[in-house]
Amino acid sequence: MLARQTIKELYNESSCSHNAEKKSGCEKPKPGATTGGCAFEGAQISLFPYADAVHLVHGPITCLGASWETRQTKTSVAGYDFTQMGFTTDTSVNDVIFGGDKKLSDAIDYCVGHYAPSAVFVYSTCVTALIGDDIDAVCKDAAARHSIPVVPVHSPGFLGGKNFGSRIGGEAVLEHLVGTLEPETTTPYDINLIGEYNVTGDMWQYTPLLESLGIRILSTLAGDGRVERIRTAHRAKLNVIVCAKSLVTFTRKMNERYGIPFISVSFYGKRDTSRAILEIATALKDDELIERTKKLIESEEAKLEAKLLEYKAFFAGKKAILNTGGNKSWSIASALQDLGLEVVATSVNKATEDDIEKAREYLGENAILMKVPGVEQPKLIKEHNVDILLAGGRSLYTALKNKIAFVDVNQEKKISYGGYEGLLNLAEDVMHALKNPVFKLAGSTAPWEVES
Amino acid sequence: MSAKPLQVNPIKLSQPMGATLAFLGVKECMPLMHGAQGCASFTKVFYTRHFHDPIAIQTTAVNDITAVFDGGDVGIVTAVENITKKVTPKLIGLFSTGLTETKGDDLRGAASKLTLPVVWVNTPDYEGGFESGWALSVEAMITQLVKPSSTIDSAKIAVLPHSTMKPIEVERLKEFIEGFGFTAVALPDLSTSLDGFLGEKQGQLSAGGVEVQDIMELASSMAVIAVGGSMAKAAGLLAQKNPLMKTVTVESIGGLGATDTLAKALCDLGGRPSEKIKRWRARLQDAMLDTHFILGKAKVVVAGEPDWLVGVCSALHEVGATVSVALSSVTSPVLQNVKADQTIVGDLEDVQRFVEECDMIIGNCHFERVAKKYHKSLIVRGFPDWESVGSQLFDDCLYEGGCGFLFNAANTLESHRAHG
Repeated sequence: MLARQTIKELYNESSCSHNAEKKSGCEKPKPGATTGGCAFEGAQISLFPYADAVHLVHGPITCLGASWETRQTKTSVAGYDFTQMGFTTDTSVNDVIFGGDKKLSDAIDYCVGHYAPSAVFVYSTCVTALIGDDIDAVCKDAAARHSIPVVPVHSPGFLGGKNFGSRIGGEAVLEHLVGTLEPETTTPYDINLIGEYNVTGDMWQYTPLLESLGIRILSTLAGDGRVERIRTAHRAKLNVIVCAKSLVTFTRKMNERYGIPFISVSFYGKRDTSRAILEIATALKDDELIERTKKLIESEEAKLEAKLLEYKAFFAGKKAILNTGGNKSWSIASALQDLGLEVVATSVNKATEDDIEKAREYLGENAILMKVPGVEQPKLIKEHNVDILLAGGRSLYTALKNKIAFVDVNQEKKISYGGYEGLLNLAEDVMHALKNPVFKLAGSTAPWEVES
Repeated sequence: MSAKPLQVNPIKLSQPMGATLAFLGVKECMPLMHGAQGCASFTKVFYTRHFHDPIAIQTTAVNDITAVFDGGDVGIVTAVENITKKVTPKLIGLFSTGLTETKGDDLRGAASKLTLPVVWVNTPDYEGGFESGWALSVEAMITQLVKPSSTIDSAKIAVLPHSTMKPIEVERLKEFIEGFGFTAVALPDLSTSLDGFLGEKQGQLSAGGVEVQDIMELASSMAVIAVGGSMAKAAGLLAQKNPLMKTVTVESIGGLGATDTLAKALCDLGGRPSEKIKRWRARLQDAMLDTHFILGKAKVVVAGEPDWLVGVCSALHEVGATVSVALSSVTSPVLQNVKADQTIVGDLEDVQRFVEECDMIIGNCHFERVAKKYHKSLIVRGFPDWESVGSQLFDDCLYEGGCGFLFNAANTLESHRAHG
């Protein structure tokens, strides 16, 4: 079980800016007015990218049955790609009555026997937490039996939302893996990437650049991750949080325990990518590295600008509205600005205090931060002559009705928008949306109806 | 039944997910899942990606405190209050999850405290699966909504589609029944809610489906037709509402034989087929002959929900194809009727060796990786299908859809043979 103190601590992360103002930290979800995933999903998001470990979900079928193979978290691991496989004890009514410990233990044995993973993560869920299965004991025994890490992750969905679940995932890694193995070698330029999940290969857009500067990715949590590497994470010189506030608890504790400083960066768009690389170099406190980095950024930006010329000419004078959640409310806005689009408004109804601050910073003084985007965006589209709406599927009709282009930014994306190269992918998608006649045609009035 | 202590790459889906889909086939309904927020969130994302349309669903968002201190009624009543601040559903479809069944919440009691029309149903995800969750919800709607009747409308037929019938297939089934001179009401009716159409108010409530009023008046039907063994109980419950109502259960509507059985039943009820239906039967006969050269030599692995398996395997069997293994997500009495060399209840791992030796796979999109690995042709069917667009409009049933299904299977196989 997670100790009461730990849960309280995770709820009230002191490094979250909202907790400076509010008494309670993460709020409880409202019945009948809640969207978004649970703590289990958050833990799954943060840990499933470890492709060399089996992720065994101890619960009934909804938890995994609906969610396996849903994320394009790319890996370079050879052999089984466990991020794209699903393992679950599929709790039955018998387990609910008699307890699921034995089945869980057998299931761990099965996974190790058939798939030889480098570790097993075991996730408790609502039902198995409620019936009191002792996953800590089962995991401890199994780890001794198989001589590999078997990590209990206490992630019943009723504990909270996705962010909270990601913290729980980080907590499990910190308690059971970090510091349990020494790296073969270390360098003064070793960093950990925290909260980068390598969705669609985002991470690979910028890691070659870091490596070319001599910066070494010692470990990740958990994009293209290896369990063996995160076990050595305590020897890194810097923790880099990538677009993920939820793991700030993890990096704060790493700082307290191992004295590793941390910075928070984003790799969406040109300016953010450059800033991120420079911040990493600066935090590593090596003047020569900083100089090299500045040169690299200059040449990469020049290369990118040359490729963007054509797009920028097309985007000149075009206006966009962005309606999405979390860090995307500013990170995509920044990327769009890099392409030469004017971002008229962005939504902040699902953003944290930090995200709102950032959004204000990027969009400037006249920024419109939408609290009720559903109501605001149709008005804004008309008032500002907006050309394109980037939002979730629900807003499609708003775009069609106003005969403007639409990009579904919440859809599971298939290609990366990360780093310098990813910006070209975004440019390509936005340009094609703007050129596509479909938005005017699909929203047209039927011949038997009178135009209103 | 596999004796493994776990599922590896499961095709099984849960009862609450089946219940969600059933309630989405009722017009202006709000499916309300009584559980932690993740159950509803996973389900919403799952269907949004499958149908490429916004999905209406809400959750009672049970948290660590209410999990212990609330018997369910506070969470449920609060949820409905919050829902009605934004929309006014014509029906709340209230169903449970493993969490709230484990703690023993009283759905009936909570439902009685609501002022809106509500249907409640117990659907723990540690029992049954997708198909039973759908069927239990239909049974609950019939028991709790339909008004008893002692008179019948001699033209009206109630039809109860099984869980894996696609929206277009429900529409074609209704048209088929109408082609025999009847009117048809489907419960649930996905053909007007998740058929993929451009509507104005997207996703606040279910966008279409059978009207609540029409469900209430279902007992005046002269007959009820259950499609699939899982729907037989629901048909029986409906027939109990009117002693004059006749009951028909067909095990599937896949292929010539199964469609003939349905057609015969409709004739027995006093109907006569339209010229169009007769023409489509002749076309299917021809399609069977055209495709049997290709499909007659094929070894196929088929995976999905029990009632759906019966139909697909029967259609393949009719043209001489060998289903080397039919993989079912859950156990069911109908599995003994599946035309396959072997029928097993299990997961993707269990059929791996059959996949290696087959020519074609028919199953959900989780098979894409397997098909690619072993260079097999694949027809994606069932839930989930996150990769195809338009799956809601692919018709595989009855005479007309049967032609399409056979042509599609034969062309897929042949193109794979020729080009790999």
